[in-house]
Order: sequence, then C-alpha cells, then structure tokens
Amino acid sequence: MSGRARVRARGLARSPRAAEVGRPQASPSPPSVDLSDNEASSSSDFVGTKRTLQKDEDGISSGDVRSNFMERGVKIGRNFMDLGICTREKLAHVKDCKTGSSGIPVKLVTNLFNLDLPQNWQLYQYHVTYSPDLESRRLRTALLYSHSEISNKAKAFDGAILFLSRKLEEKVTELSSETHRGETVKMTLTLTSEVLSSSPVCIQVFNIIFKKILKKLSMYQIGRNYYNPSEPVEIPQHKLSLWPGFAISISQFESRLLFSANVSYKVLRNETVLEFMTDLYHKTGVSCFTETCEKQLMGLIVLTRYNNKTYRIDDIDWSVRPTHTFKKRDGTEITYVDYYEQQYNITLSDLNQPLLVSLLKSKRNDNTEARIAHLIPELCFLTGLTSQATSDFQLMKAVADETRISPLGQQQRLARLADSIQRNKDAHFELENWGLHFGGQMSLTGRVVPSEKIFLQDHVCQPVSAADWSKDIRTCKILSVQPLNKWLVFCSNRTENGTESFVNCLKRVGSSMGFNVSYPKIIKVQENPAAFFRAVQQHVDPDVQLVMCILPSDQNYYNSIKKYLSCDCPVPSQCILARTLNKQGMMMSIATRVAMQMACKLEGELWAVEIPLKSLMVVGIDVCKDAFRKEVVVVGFVASVNPRITRWFSRCIIQKATTDIADCLKVFMTARCSAKTAVQRRMQGSHFLTSPGLGLSSSVTESSSNTSSRLSVIVVRRKCVPRFFTEMSRTMENPPLGTVVDSQATRSEWYDFYLISQAASRGTVNPTYYNVIYDDNGLKPDHMQRLTFKMCHLYYNWMGLISIPAPCLYAHKLTFLVAQSIHKEPSLELANSLFYL
Amino acid sequence: MEDKNIQVADLGCGDTSLIRLLKVYPCIELLVGVDIDEDKLRWRGDKLSPFMGDFLKPRDLDLTITLYHGSAVERDSRLLGFDLITCIELIEHLDSGDLARFPEVVFGYLSPAMVVISTPNSEFNPLFPIVTLRDSDHKFEWNRMEFQTWSLYVAKCYNYSVEFTGVGEPPAGAESVGFCTQIGIFRKNGGRATESCVSEQHHHHVYKAVFTTSYPSLKQERFLRLVLVNEVSQQVESLRVRYLRRLKEQEDRESGNEPKDTGCSDTHIPCFGPVFTEDEKARIEKSPKPFCVGDKFFVPLQRLLAYPKLNRLCAEEEMMRSVIADSVDLSVDGSAVVVDLHYYSDYVFDF
Repeated sequence: MSGRARVRARGLARSPRAAEVGRPQASPSPPSVDLSDNEASSSSDFVGTKRTLQKDEDGISSGDVRSNFMERGVKIGRNFMDLGICTREKLAHVKDCKTGSSGIPVKLVTNLFNLDLPQNWQLYQYHVTYSPDLESRRLRTALLYSHSEISNKAKAFDGAILFLSRKLEEKVTELSSETHRGETVKMTLTLTSEVLSSSPVCIQVFNIIFKKILKKLSMYQIGRNYYNPSEPVEIPQHKLSLWPGFAISISQFESRLLFSANVSYKVLRNETVLEFMTDLYHKTGVSCFTETCEKQLMGLIVLTRYNNKTYRIDDIDWSVRPTHTFKKRDGTEITYVDYYEQQYNITLSDLNQPLLVSLLKSKRNDNTEARIAHLIPELCFLTGLTSQATSDFQLMKAVADETRISPLGQQQRLARLADSIQRNKDAHFELENWGLHFGGQMSLTGRVVPSEKIFLQDHVCQPVSAADWSKDIRTCKILSVQPLNKWLVFCSNRTENGTESFVNCLKRVGSSMGFNVSYPKIIKVQENPAAFFRAVQQHVDPDVQLVMCILPSDQNYYNSIKKYLSCDCPVPSQCILARTLNKQGMMMSIATRVAMQMACKLEGELWAVEIPLKSLMVVGIDVCKDAFRKEVVVVGFVASVNPRITRWFSRCIIQKATTDIADCLKVFMTARCSAKTAVQRRMQGSHFLTSPGLGLSSSVTESSSNTSSRLSVIVVRRKCVPRFFTEMSRTMENPPLGTVVDSQATRSEWYDFYLISQAASRGTVNPTYYNVIYDDNGLKPDHMQRLTFKMCHLYYNWMGLISIPAPCLYAHKLTFLVAQSIHKEPSLELANSLFYL
Repeated sequence: MEDKNIQVADLGCGDTSLIRLLKVYPCIELLVGVDIDEDKLRWRGDKLSPFMGDFLKPRDLDLTITLYHGSAVERDSRLLGFDLITCIELIEHLDSGDLARFPEVVFGYLSPAMVVISTPNSEFNPLFPIVTLRDSDHKFEWNRMEFQTWSLYVAKCYNYSVEFTGVGEPPAGAESVGFCTQIGIFRKNGGRATESCVSEQHHHHVYKAVFTTSYPSLKQERFLRLVLVNEVSQQVESLRVRYLRRLKEQEDRESGNEPKDTGCSDTHIPCFGPVFTEDEKARIEKSPKPFCVGDKFFVPLQRLLAYPKLNRLCAEEEMMRSVIADSVDLSVDGSAVVVDLHYYSDYVFDF
C-alpha cells in the first residue's frame, strides 16, 4: 500500500512530526515550511520536559528568574527549558570525551555563526516597580525610556524586568516621570542579579536582541520566524504566496555562543477569508456550507490587514454581522462597519459576512476569563494551508518545488543574511551597543562512518548507494518468510482485470525473492464502502493468513476495514488503491514493494545488518495524538525480539494525554518479556530510542532494574537547528550518508551527536539529532554512533537508509495508524508482525 | 482630500500618532514628520513600516513616510510645495524668537497649499483643576482673541485665508469659553505652489533623515502583477466552479434527481459573493462567456475585464495579457485564460 501510505502521510502534514516522519522514503522535507503556525503546536512535548526540569533542581542556577520571566508572558521555547539539564555528567564513560574517532574525516560548513562577546561580559537585571502602578506596558516603557540614562544604554524591557549591558551606578535607582495627564510616576529600579552570558536568561535576551535586528532588516516576525514579504514567491494557480525568511536562534553550543539560521518559508493565501468562504460556498452549496467552512477554517491562523497581528480562528459566529454593534473599551457602542471606517478608513463591501471568533491568549498566567476578538473575514488573510490543501498532491508539489533549497542556495541565503546583519547601520549599532560581535560562519570536521553490508538469505551485498539498494538486491532471496497459502483479495467489479494481473505479478516477484505466494481467492464486491466492509466481515475467518483489498478510493473504505481487521478479527491486511494498479510500467516495482510488505505482515524477515552485540534488544517508542479525541494519545512501542534485530514485537496503548507516558512502559516491557521467552533466552543490553520530550528516564530505569539488564536511552529528534554542507568544487553538497558530527555543534552538558542517514536528492538534508540521556551499557561513542546508523538500515518498507532508526519509524507508523484510522488498541495477536506497514 | 498624490508634513510630530492616522488615506503619497526629539523618532519609526497585510493587498498609490530630525523654524527644501502642513500643539512650545521666525519659514518659505495650526485655548483653562499652563514646556497659552489676531496677521502677510474652529466642546454652562483646543485652517490664495517656485530653491537640506519607509503599491509593477494575476486566477476559479455546478445540476435534472440546495433558501446563512450594480451586471452579461473545449476551460480576457474588481486594476486587454502572460496559461491566440476543467481536489465537493 505504498501509494496509500504516501497519500495518508501527506494528509497529515499539518502535524509537524507526522509530516516529517511520515515520508522518510521520499527525499527530505522542504526546509521547514511553516504549514501552520508553530506556536500552537508543541504543547505535549512541553509537559514532559517541564517535569524533568523540576526534578533536576541543582542544574539550574537561575530558576526563579525564568519563572518570573514566564509569568510576564514571555515565551520560553523548548530549547530554553532543556538548558541546564545536564545528563552527561552522570555518564561516567563520556564525561571526559564524547567524540568518536572511526570513519573518514569530512570538512563541513554549517549554518552557525560565531557570536563573540568580550571576556567577563555580563547582563544586569533590574526589577522595575511603578508608583502608582501602571497597567499599560506601553506606558511603562515610554516613561522609563524617557530617561536618558536608560535610553542611551543597550536595553531590553518587558514591562517589569529590565536588562542592561552596563551597570547603573546605584543598586537601587529612583526615577520619576510625568504622564500626559500630568500625573507623576515614580519608578524604582532594583538590581536583582548579574547574569553570565552562558545562562539561559541571557540566551533569551540575545534572542530578543536579534528580534530587533531582524526588524531593522525589514523582516516581519510570524510565529517564531522572520519573513521578508517584499520578495514573495508566487504560486498563482494555487493562490499561494510564499514569503522567504529564516528561523533563527541563538544558543550555547559546546563552548561558544552561536547564531543559527535556517531558510524557512511562510505560506500565505492570496485571498481573504471572505473570498475563501465565497469560493467554498459556490463549491458546496448551502446545505453543507457551514459545516465544511468551519471544518476548513477552524484552527487556521489569519493575518489582519489593518495591523501586524495574527489570530487563530477558534470559531465562526454566523449570527453576527458587520452591522451589529460591539462595546468599545471606553464603553461606547459602535457597529463594526463604523469602527473600521473610523479607525482605519476601511469600507466593508459585504455587510452579510459572518464574523470570525478568536480567543485571545491571556498575557498573564492568571485565571481571568479569556477575551475574544471578533474579526471581519473580509479583512483577514489566511496563512498556512487548510487540511484540504495539504492533501492536494499538486499543490504540495508546487510548494515543495519552490521551497526545497539546495545546499548551495541555502549557503547563498545565509551569506546574504550575515552580510546584511553586518552591513545594516541600525543592526550594527544595536549589536555594538550590547558589546556583541557577529562573526564568521563556522566550519567543523565530521566523520563518515563505514557503510553497512546488507545480509540476505544467501547473499551479502554492499550497496552501490546506501540511499536505495533496491537494484542491488533485485534478484536476492529475503531472509525468511512463511509461504502464503490461504489469502483473500477483495476488489470491485471494475478492477477485476487489473487485480488479476497484479496478483500474477505478485506471484512472480514473490517467487524470485523466495516468498511463495499461492493464488488467492478473489472476491468481487460492489463499489461502495458498506459492501466492501460487509464482504470482509463475511469472508474473513481466523484461518486466513492475509487479506488484500483493492480499494476504489478514499478514507471511507480504509478506516473501517483496518479497524475490523486489526481489532475485531485480527488478520494482517494489505490495502491498495485501485488507481495504483493502473500505473503502466510501474507494475513490477509496485508488486515488489507490496510483496515485501506482505512478507513483513506474515512475520517474515527481509534483510539484516551485522550486529556485533549479542543479545541486544532495541526498542522504539513514539506518541501520536488521536485524530478525533484530542484528550487522548496513542503510545506505540516496538521492540526487537531476536539477536539479529530482524523481528519485532509491536504494541500500542491509548491513554489520556495527561497520563505519564512512562507508566505504560512497564506494561510494554512485561508484555515484551513474556513474548520474548519463546524466542530468546536472555537479555543483557537494551536500547531505547524515543521521540523527544517524553520524560521517561526515571521509570525506564525502574522497569529495567527489575530485569537486571543494562540500558541505554536515546532521544531521537528530527527537528534540530544545525545544517551541514560539504564544499565540492566550488559548489555546496549535502554531506555523504553516514556523516556523524559530535563536536562543536553539540552541547557540552549532553552526550549527543548528529547523524545524516538519509539522502536528499533535492533540497538540504536535515541531520537527525541523537541525545543519549541514559547509558549503563557503557558503549564507546564510536559504537553508539555506528549502532544507531545500523538501525537506520532496518526499515522494511524502504530498500535503503532512512532518517531515523527503524524501530522509531515502526513505532511512528503504528501510532499513526491507530490515531488516524483505528482509534482502538489493535489485537495482540498481530503484535509479532509489522501489520501496520 | 479628493485630490490624489497629496503630500503632508507634520511639524512637531512627537510620537507620530497623527502620521499613523493619516497613512490609511489612499490619496496621500508622501508623509513627513519633523521633530526635535531624535530618540523618539527613532524609537517610533518602526511603527510606521508597512503592515504585512500591505504586501498582500497593496495600496493604489505609492506612499513614502520619512521622519526628519529638525526644527519647525529651520528651512529645508525637501518640504517645499506640500499640500498640507500640520502644526498640532506646536507653536506654544516656541519661544518669542522662534515664534517670530515660524510664519516666515512655514508660510513664507515652505508655502504649502494648506496649513493647520492648533494651540490650547487659555480661556478653557479655568475648567481644569489646576490653573497653570497645561505643560511645563509651554511658553505661552493664548486666548481666542490672541490666536485669531496672530493668525489673521500671518494670513494677510503671506496671502492666505484663514478660518477658525476647535476641538473639545466646553461643558454645559461654560459654553462661552469656547473649544478646549483652538484650530486655525489656513488656505493659500491661488492654490498650490507652482513648480517653478519649487525648483528654484532646492537642495537646501538641513534636516537629518532618521527613518524612511516606502509602501508597496499597484504603481509598482511587481505588485500590480501579483495582484492582477491573483485576481485573474480567483475569477477564473470562481467561473470554473460555477460552470461545473451548473453541469452537475443539469445532470441531476436529466437523471430525474431533485437538484439539492441551490440558491440561498436558508436565512441563517448569508448570501455570499460580490454584489454588482445593474450597470456592472449588464456589462458582464454582454461580455464573451467562458466556454469549454474538451477538458479545458477557457475564460476570455474580455470577460475578465468586465468584472469591476479586475477592470479597476487594468482596463485594456493588451495590458492584461502582457502582465499575466508569464504566470497563467493563455489560449493559442492569447485571447483567453485556459485551465483544466477538472481539478484533483474537486472530488471532495462531489462534482
């Protein structure tokens, strides 16, 4: 079901993680296209990290400062939350050196720039109080800045906390100013702390400084990134504008402060919400208009015409019109039409439009009722893509074509950005004022670890390219699989011929790979979802080894069949879209892929790599939010069950989003251990590979201590800041497969490294970031890196390397299927097969 | 302000709040703020940059906003020949020497078509709790007589006519004190400054430019193209969808199904779509209709030009063709836009 998988992966591109991990077989995702506003997304990850933070109190020097900052509503990204957690000091074997040495050295250019500070540079943090107290942050700022001793200095002020680069003479400074109304306001500035440049607070201030600098370069902030609207890329046939820009951050790497920039694009729709609604209205007709409209628009971010603000559409109020009145802040009533006319000289053309409703985020973390804003569709521009748009293959391709930037293009843009930061007078002034110096681009040396051999039944192959070895193993027999004797194929009358020839093709490719496929029972069904489902219910019994469905189209068929065959009547199933079979000339390669998936679903093993460690268990864990019930998450767990790491035990649990994810690990481990006894006798070392921010270290240790095994826990992160390029005869290329970076761009307090394990035919490759947070196997860094690389070879749905270790992707596939289609824990009878491929 | 290409300067612009109010007017082409507080200008400048929405829906006319650090009693040729110069709550901050020089600079040298001067009305002051000057920096506060005498004298000197008004109605019972703030509106007799008088004295630059920004507008080709191509795509898409819907209804009728949901029977849901006047409707009706050949859908450029929104952007077929040619597919003879009749995502809407 390759085509199916791709369509479905595309359909979910709005969840950032799903978008990236869902299509590892394709070339890597475009450089962080902002499909939706990031701000709202990463909340679940946040919970985990926060908890860890509280446990690890001694690691943070200035915790109170940060919480203060948060109370004021200043956002602190995940990166800041992670700072100060030092996992490396507890890992004795890497305390002194966490770098490996094997492999061929390779020179790499990065997207990181040095930020130099004078020695002993410090920030001075003051607490500012007002008497009488003032509510308005703008007024607070204006009064404070009216004093030259403050306004002359480099400063950052959020309304209560003031940061200065130079110390004021007194520890407590009293100032007073007069408001327009003639009121005298006393301000007291108290020095609360002196902050070192490596502190997280300081990093936060650096980010504020660069926010100012990018503004000076005529860039606009949307979410966390900065965009340049004056040089848009247009895709008129899809009514899209792409604003080029950068995701930037300042962070402390090994020993220095570095500025990083990644090319990013903001997707904007060249239409107002009103135009979008009008269009939709003509497409849907009246009866399902409101429903469709709400479905498409809710959750999208809009940009208003008359200011620079973005809002999330939380609701549509069909009962309110622009001619209705609302209460202004001063208590007077005014109609929306008059308000926009008076305030912005904007005349509304459509007085029948409904209003959009947006819940405003409370600036302070108190429990006051959320305020709502009514917005006029005519004055709102859509940003990002609707769910319908993300499932539109042509549209997504057009976007990808424009946003996928080659390493050379990336490098040119970086150089231009660095140049304008250095040249712009205002930017230069700002940096100088703080004592910062924007330095050169950083280069470093990585290593390319040796490539892996692929072991098949009677053949060992050294692939020409590790990115794709399908050609190398075309005539080889897979490791093992049981013959397929009893299986059913459901297809509609229309696709009978295609189905027949496809089955013959499957038999042929099957026999050449050592997979005996007998002729199935083909069942013809009427072309509607209910008929398909009934036929499946009627014909499938537990003796059937596998069910194949040739689906005419669409989700309606897929979900119900998958649910039935995964939970109610557990039989491995293979769904294929009918139109996949129509692709002329592709039949053999499609049949090959399908045959391999079928073999996996019959507990077959396709290939192996050399695993030097005996009795190793590798576990992948992933979490996915349920598509319908937001309060529920699906936790997937995939563990290897044999020393060769070719067979897997897969299970998932559905639980409340607020429940500790680690709690269910015990259940998994127990289940895995009982399943294991049949297959494998002892377990000495195990490897956990997890998605970021699951906060599971404590309970993993707990559960592993029961089984007296040694354990390593690695957090795998697809999203990371650095990019690496190699310079090749005057142009830039992606680094070779297997490139490891474990110095300079890493963090000193962590045992971490980057690994490039996927090829990017176009665009810039995203390195995958590995953070070893627990390791009592005591593996050498070299071995840890190579073992990780080996794991990237074992994903049976793709004959090549993938960007993350196979068990992680299996776990992702499993949770994705459950969260999107099944919404129920699949039957344990399927746990020993990769039924979700 | 029916005129186009208006140039306005605000002397003593302070926190630029007047400039922010003025920038929304489509007729203004140049907005200048002058103040002696450079820090304030620098700090406020960012607020005057175009909004992001201005790039998506550009103005019709260019707009440049410039903030100068300088004084209202210095001559700078870059402010010559403006349509309007405003001096809001400015003159009362001038000492007697500067006040004497002020008319000569503003009326005599800059000589704009119109000057608006506002200043506190001291007769209103007894209504405030504290009876002193309204601001510690005020050098004087005039009553109505003083202001009007000064204004009439200035107007006479420099050949302007003046009328008086004000803002801030006095409370009931105190009507006799007049407005809280008095305003003089000066109009130059004989209208706008002539070109020759402007060109004679240029290149006298005293002010220091602190901030300047230009707005995207339809006068700039790339933005015109952007907007025109988008509007064309939008219109073509909307015609295509309507065409398909009609086909569908026709099919339904032929197969005997009741066409479901047409028109706006449900009162709860507003009727969508642009509203045309009778003239506009007739124009659209008269223009060549979209048509279909095979699976291609054609919309004649003449048809597109009939829609007011597009016509406003571009009135001629030739011009439209040349602007959009690179971005959309045209028929062989270039007279129509061509798109596929069916699109991948249509199935969602059951066409």
